Amino acid sequence: MRGRRDYLLGKLIRYGFTLFLILSLNFALPRMMPGDPIINLLGENALHNDPEMIELLRAEHGLDQPIHIQYIRYLCQLTEINLGYSIHKNLSVVELLTSSLFWTVLLVFPSDVFGSLLALLCGSLAGFKINSRADYLLTAIALSLYTCPAFLLAMLFLSLFAFHLGLFPLGNLTSGGKEGIDYLLDVVWHLSLPVAALSLLGGASKFLVVRNSVMQISDQQFVVAARAKGLTEGRILNKHIIRNVLPPFISMVALSFGFMVSGALIIEIVFSLNGMGTLIYDAVLARDYPVMQGCFFILTIFVLFANFAADMLYALADPRIGRSS
Amino acid sequence: MHPSIAGLVSHAPLRVAGLSSLILFLSIALFAPLIAPYDPQETGSPYQPPNAEHRLGTNDIGQDILSELIYATRVSLAIGFMAGSISIIIGATLGMLAGYYRGRIEELVMAISDVVLLVPGLPLMIILAAYLSPSMWNIIFVVGLLWWCSTTRVVHSRVLQLREMPFVEAARSLGAGDGYIMLHHILINCKEIIQAKFALAVASAMLTEASLSFLGLGDPLNISWGEMIHFAFSRGGFANDMWWWYLPPGLMICASVLGFVMISMEPERSQKALEL
Repeated sequence: MRGRRDYLLGKLIRYGFTLFLILSLNFALPRMMPGDPIINLLGENALHNDPEMIELLRAEHGLDQPIHIQYIRYLCQLTEINLGYSIHKNLSVVELLTSSLFWTVLLVFPSDVFGSLLALLCGSLAGFKINSRADYLLTAIALSLYTCPAFLLAMLFLSLFAFHLGLFPLGNLTSGGKEGIDYLLDVVWHLSLPVAALSLLGGASKFLVVRNSVMQISDQQFVVAARAKGLTEGRILNKHIIRNVLPPFISMVALSFGFMVSGALIIEIVFSLNGMGTLIYDAVLARDYPVMQGCFFILTIFVLFANFAADMLYALADPRIGRSS
Repeated sequence: MHPSIAGLVSHAPLRVAGLSSLILFLSIALFAPLIAPYDPQETGSPYQPPNAEHRLGTNDIGQDILSELIYATRVSLAIGFMAGSISIIIGATLGMLAGYYRGRIEELVMAISDVVLLVPGLPLMIILAAYLSPSMWNIIFVVGLLWWCSTTRVVHSRVLQLREMPFVEAARSLGAGDGYIMLHHILINCKEIIQAKFALAVASAMLTEASLSFLGLGDPLNISWGEMIHFAFSRGGFANDMWWWYLPPGLMICASVLGFVMISMEPERSQKALEL
């Protein structure tokens, strides 16, 4: 048990260190980058004020104070969950973020689950029957998805299934004016195309990794032994090979979370879903820096948290972790 | 000459296919002024569908889309190559130092790459690109600086094996210095990994650049494929189903990225390098 505690403690320290670096980066960026920090902190709309007002704002944001005082002030603000104010949208950044984050999570989470399951299923099939026709077909599909930029796949899906075939809505999260079960079904109907696109994108890169590890494990002695014992192929794959692929697979799924979030941002823009992606897109176009930074901050915390949870799961899934070697 | 080419094709068909597609793209980029039917800056009547004069129609300010597409090859390839080079130079150097010297340096490099791997790449790049002025060089710099971790890890684990090998020990006992051993023995033996990783780094850099440009963070003076799609998307090309505007640059991105991925594939351990 001691070994396992050390493992968890080590992970905790690593994540704490990462969190500290992210916080510092978020603090340093607007002050370090070219241009007036007041613009970098408040967005370009801040310049529309008269010079006196700008000086007042500068004092209010503590930009006339030494850098270490600014840093302490910044940390104190974070403990009060204060991420600044968007002059452009006339709302506090936290208010803008809370609803957006919910929709982004609603897009990322199912896509990650579907994509991973699809990758595990197809990947073990292709890796087990290497160089078969099914393997070639699946690998070709995965490679073309892997090379396809997220926005292109989303645009093609939208154009084909929604615009030309009319099977799905053209965008947005709901049609509005519905309640209860109808509302839920409506949201599912609206989210199915974006989730499908993101699942395929996330599944493609995972597929290639699963295929490769299954291929390697299939070459090992214990698989030959299992086959010599007379086990059926299905049993060998399910009980012996996939069991060995699972631990690296879990950590890969966790590490790809950041990639999934990045993909979700792009897909949201194409499908005009009101999530973080659309928020960032609007903020980029308006050079609304506080919103951009708030988004980056929340997404990073979210990804860190997901990775931490996956690391804990990994420790449970792999009995070897923490056993003294 | 002939038997060896035939041998190469049958031994590594994917590599040959990838290499030939890249040669094609490179020649498009090099000879753009000769191939393009119009000057991409020249404006005419806007929103034309494909016709005999303009094979792929015209965009919102009446520029010939085919010519724009051909000239964009230069920008996309240049950004991919240079960002890929930056990331591979940083990645290989750090990986070699960490694997060869071990100790404190190794711990530091691995800790940094852990952190960079955890941070979601696209949001950070969006912020950096938004703070810096929109230019091709800033995009190259941002993408190159954040894409080195996987190279570092692969090179590091390879160097860990190499440094214990007899020929390295022999060189050391003959009085060779660290610098000499790293350049003449270790780097040479990492060559294949670095080559494969370079091709993949260029592929990722091109995809990332396309995403950044799609978000409108690209260089307005050097239009890339991703940026063409950005304009098609934000100026009504997509909403009006003008597929000739956004689909060709999209397919060019796919084809060139696929070319780079295929080069990195080796027949005996295909897709191995694609892992992280």
